[in-house]
Amino acid sequence: MTLNLLTFKEISILPELFLGVSIIYLLIHGIFLTVNKDHPLIKNSLIYLSILILSMTIFLLANDNLTVLESTNFNYSVTNDYLSFTSKILIGTTSIFCLFMFNQYLTDQKINHFEYVLLILFSILGLFLLCSSDDLLTAYLAIELQSLSFYVIAAFKKNSTFSVEAGLKYFILGAFSSSLFLFGSSLIYGISGTINFDDFKDLYFYDFSENSLNSFDSTLLQFALVFILVSLFFKLALAPFHVWSPDVYEGSPSSSTFFFAVVPKIALFVLLLRIFYYSFYNFFDNFRYFLVLISVFSVLIGSFVGLEQRKLKSLLAYSSISHMGYSLLAFSTGTFEGLQMLYCYLTVYMLSGLCIWSIFFLTRLKNKYTQKQNKDLADLLLLRKSNSFLAFSFSVVLLSIAGFPPMIGFLVKFGIFLVSIEASLYFVALISILCSVISAFYYLRIVKVMYFEKGLAGKLYYPITSQKAIIVVLCLFLLFLLFINPTLLYLFSYKLSLLMLY
Amino acid sequence: MFDIQNLLLVIIILPLLGSGCLSVISFSNQHLIRSLALQISCVTFIFSLFLWFFFNKSLGTFQFVNKLFWIPTLNLNIVIGIDGISIFFILLTTLLIPLCFLTSWNSINKNLKEFFLAFLIMEFFLIIVFCVLDLLLFYIFFESVLIPMFLIIGVWGSRERKIRAAYFFFLYTLLGSLLMLLTILYIYYQVGTTDYETLLTFSFSNHEQTLLWLAFFISFAAKIPMVPVHLWLPEAHVEAPTAGSVILAGILLKLGTYGFIRFSFPLFPQACFYFAPFVYSVSVIGVIYTSFTAIRQTDFKRIIAYTSVAHMNLVMIGLFSFNVIGIEGAILQSLSHGFVASALFLIIGVVYERHHTRMVKYYGGLVHLMPIYIIIFLFFTMANIGLPGTSSFVGEFLILVGSFKVNTTVTFLGATGMVLGGCYSLWLFNRIAYGNLKTQYVKKYVDLNKREFFTFLPLILGTLLTGIYPDLFLNSIHMSVNMLIELMYF
Repeated sequence: MTLNLLTFKEISILPELFLGVSIIYLLIHGIFLTVNKDHPLIKNSLIYLSILILSMTIFLLANDNLTVLESTNFNYSVTNDYLSFTSKILIGTTSIFCLFMFNQYLTDQKINHFEYVLLILFSILGLFLLCSSDDLLTAYLAIELQSLSFYVIAAFKKNSTFSVEAGLKYFILGAFSSSLFLFGSSLIYGISGTINFDDFKDLYFYDFSENSLNSFDSTLLQFALVFILVSLFFKLALAPFHVWSPDVYEGSPSSSTFFFAVVPKIALFVLLLRIFYYSFYNFFDNFRYFLVLISVFSVLIGSFVGLEQRKLKSLLAYSSISHMGYSLLAFSTGTFEGLQMLYCYLTVYMLSGLCIWSIFFLTRLKNKYTQKQNKDLADLLLLRKSNSFLAFSFSVVLLSIAGFPPMIGFLVKFGIFLVSIEASLYFVALISILCSVISAFYYLRIVKVMYFEKGLAGKLYYPITSQKAIIVVLCLFLLFLLFINPTLLYLFSYKLSLLMLY
Repeated sequence: MFDIQNLLLVIIILPLLGSGCLSVISFSNQHLIRSLALQISCVTFIFSLFLWFFFNKSLGTFQFVNKLFWIPTLNLNIVIGIDGISIFFILLTTLLIPLCFLTSWNSINKNLKEFFLAFLIMEFFLIIVFCVLDLLLFYIFFESVLIPMFLIIGVWGSRERKIRAAYFFFLYTLLGSLLMLLTILYIYYQVGTTDYETLLTFSFSNHEQTLLWLAFFISFAAKIPMVPVHLWLPEAHVEAPTAGSVILAGILLKLGTYGFIRFSFPLFPQACFYFAPFVYSVSVIGVIYTSFTAIRQTDFKRIIAYTSVAHMNLVMIGLFSFNVIGIEGAILQSLSHGFVASALFLIIGVVYERHHTRMVKYYGGLVHLMPIYIIIFLFFTMANIGLPGTSSFVGEFLILVGSFKVNTTVTFLGATGMVLGGCYSLWLFNRIAYGNLKTQYVKKYVDLNKREFFTFLPLILGTLLTGIYPDLFLNSIHMSVNMLIELMYF
């Protein structure tokens, strides 16, 4: 009986359905409780409920019956393969940790609107759908769902002009880039008459160059693909399209920044993979040098401009730009190993991003007058004296993302350089290695502020709770464990690339 | 149950275990921290003496080989093993670490626990660097050594300039070694593995060899340091605490020579021959230029730092003579530099701890009030010059004999370094030891206490032992160097 119930065709998106229904339930819950005077801190209950919901969604995802399914459904617009499965698991887990870390910050910032958590859940739903989207329209809708929620949570601090400005900037540029995506998709639809990724693969997998039967001019198709690429690069904040990201990161509330710095990148890369490694792999060579150029440019911008940043959040924004550049470098190799390393890199990026932003949230200044989060690098001056564990873990994570050996950050960066050399991109590898030295300089600057500088007039911090300490230690432990035994990471990404390409 | 084959593994793990124990002790329990750290490092030293005892001198191959799987999918494994070349570097490391702890017994008060932790972790990294038989892992640990050293200079250094010095140290070495990373990637891509013994069987084309050799050279030259990239060394030495300087001069500089012997020589022999004149000229410039610079310095530590540069460049001349005598001399000179330069930095540490200045002009006539100190200082000054009977004499003599067979001019110019060495060392000794007491600057003088004396004793014994009976070391080195020469010529 149960089996019959569970084999209906919507089973492939059961987790998403569950998440969507739960969001509606949470909306009702929020509305009823806000009018009730007995619940002054509505967002607390909502955060814990949404953590519960996300855990249950992950449980549904991880259910073995579903992973073997690999079904494509809803008129081939949603697919459920290993790529989407792992990405969703990663996104879900990271979001749980994010939500856990927000809690205190939202109380400090006096953000007590239940909509905030709901919007985050909506964006997670969007990201889930984006991971499993199998045609251009679903992808577009998922991106829109995700980014509309992001625009709102960027502008959520209503009394801060910076936050509103950030939200507006993000909205205008995001809407612009979404329209580029839509334009590209419509061109593709005009050429091929379909929007489905599998159909694209069937249509364009074979070479159309000279001696094939149906002579076909692929120029317009490539033109359309460029639009899609540019739009996704906007979303990923890669270098020539990155200008919005430092402003938005700096202006919006830190919790929102945390969320859209860490979580959505992997889903966008999944879409890029589906389009360029699966549907239009045939045209990959035409785009390769464009991608390489973009990635080198991002790495350069991320490293050099990051040197001049004095604020922690914009520094992390530039660091994220350079990391996306490295990921795109792996992506642009177009090889099996490149795909594998890309996935390793993104996983580690999420892990270290989680760790770094958690520490950022945990360093709460003891300041009675203004409830400001620490903003400048110099605010970390007394961190080592007031909480040496936090300072230690912060420096470990910074060294890891700078690419120093005894942490996993080195190994994945090494992997990126390795695949770029295997794809004979020697010069690019040289440039990105040199840039990683330069970016090491600004990561070290934070370590310097914490450890070397003497300052009497610093700021003191609140002690951290034990649950949050456990989370930070867990991330830290993973950074070391994955270095000592990276087989887990490699095998998992190997399986993923294998299932993706064959 | 315990196999002697695992001895090396034990030596590697001991410092790590010790740092684990240290990290759970409360920082207020300072005496326990000090004594525990010292005991751990002493036990490590004793174990490494056993390693020497069980080392088979009649073999040139790797011994105590252990293989641990790391990333089997990418064909990267942890292989450790030692031969006659690396065993003495390991011994030197394990000998110097307890001495560092002894010398910073009272002088380090702030962040004591972290200080000892940094040293134990660095010992762990250094031992691994010297025994790992995998190019990539060598690189990884070669880099990892930077982090504790960076912290030691930056946190426990003496003046405000220390941050600049730490950055100098970090970025010079990092920039060099990233080029090395690129070449390692290339090698991995070409050969499919970075396992050392497999790499030995692969021969690169001449063109490849030149490029790869150059990248390795830049990385190692920044460590040794050769002349244009030696600027970080005086800065780092002057700003580091005494123990930091000892490790820097005693072991970190040897990473460069060790890298040349272990990787550049057998992997790229043609390029080595091709670039030998270049290395000769840079080294000779290094020897003479830094010796002259040392004469002009006013800072006690800077003088010794520049002499280290001169001596290490002499080592390079010995290495690039490509014969058994020259290379053995170079290894022996590295060891002896490990004893002598470390001892000289310890000597500076003694007066710095008392008077908190390193300017030579504030000292004078110490022989009247600190006789034991001056005797030890005299001994090491003589060892620095290369007096027969001390270790430096044997090393320098062998280096000059080896290079005389190849290039007489270089030998002649390198030998002027010894003359200049006499010049700056004796002049420094004169200024510190003789003359009138400068009571207008310093009023109270205290001679060495028991702890400080016993810090120097192992180094004195080592220097004398090497000087009088060098065969004790040479017979272990001999077979491995023969193997190396065989690999290079055939």
